[in-house]
Order: sequence, then structure tokens, then C-alpha cells
Amino acid sequence: SVQTSMGVQDTKVLDKRRLQELVKEVDPMEQLDDDVEEVLMHIADDFIENVVSAACKIAKHRKSNTLEVKDVQMHLERNWNIYVPGYGSDELRP
Amino acid sequence: GTHIRSCSDEAFLHHSALQKRVSCIARKHGLDVNNDVLNLVSHATQERLRDLVEKLATIAEHRIEIYKM
Repeated sequence: SVQTSMGVQDTKVLDKRRLQELVKEVDPMEQLDDDVEEVLMHIADDFIENVVSAACKIAKHRKSNTLEVKDVQMHLERNWNIYVPGYGSDELRP
Repeated sequence: GTHIRSCSDEAFLHHSALQKRVSCIARKHGLDVNNDVLNLVSHATQERLRDLVEKLATIAEHRIEIYKM
């Protein structure tokens, strides 16, 4: 990661090795072009920004001082249809 | 043999970088961050990218099929 700047955006949350591992899990024969890798890194950044900002609004809405797992889960399930097991989300189910 | 993956695998995103990113956003809203949030965001990002890569793989395969004809 870049040490020279204090900017948060300069700190890499995802490295290419992990991305390539993910691709190999999906299809061992698949190869990603460098520019596709770049786009996927950007998409990951945007996704984190989107999810955390929306979850913060949910936390504020229930007048909390802390961003909790349930805030993130609510946004992920409603807007992205992503269900991550192992966080005890039963209370959100209808 | 069958390879079983569990959620306790190595985190997908770098913990310290993610922590910085998440607390920076939360601070703008005047919020603290529960530590479990970071793990959840990491897993969710992995799912998001996995879904995209699966679709890209299908599209790429399709492109080759058309090219053959």
C-alpha cells in the first residue's frame, strides 16, 4: 500500500492476489486482464462506500451511536440480496 | 476430494485498511463502529465480486462460442 499519502483512498483494502484466488475458485481456467482487475478493484471500493454509508443512515435512523452488524445486514439483504451466514440475522426475517 | 470452505478462512479484505475506510465513513455520520461490522463487510464484498466474476465468466465463454461460428 502507499505510505506517502495520508488519504484514505490510497490504502488498498483488496490486493490482486486475493482477487485472483477468488477468480480461480469460480473457474480454475479463467484469466483476468489487468484492466478488468482494475475495474473490479474499483467496484469493490464503491461497494464498500455504498454499503457503509447506507448502513450508517440506518444506524442514525434508529438513533444509535454505533454502527452495528444489523444495520449493514439490513442494507445488504434489501438492496443487494446478499445474505452472509453466521451473524444471527433471524430477527430481520419476516 | 470435496473441498469445504468455511467463513473462518483468511479475511478477503485487509483488516487495517478496511477499518480505516469504514471508520472514516462512520465518523462523518458521528458513529462508532462495532468490530463485527468489518468482517461482515469483507464477506459481503467477496460475495459481490464472486457474483460479478461468475457472470463475467459466462459472458466470456459465450463470446468465444459466437466467435467459433
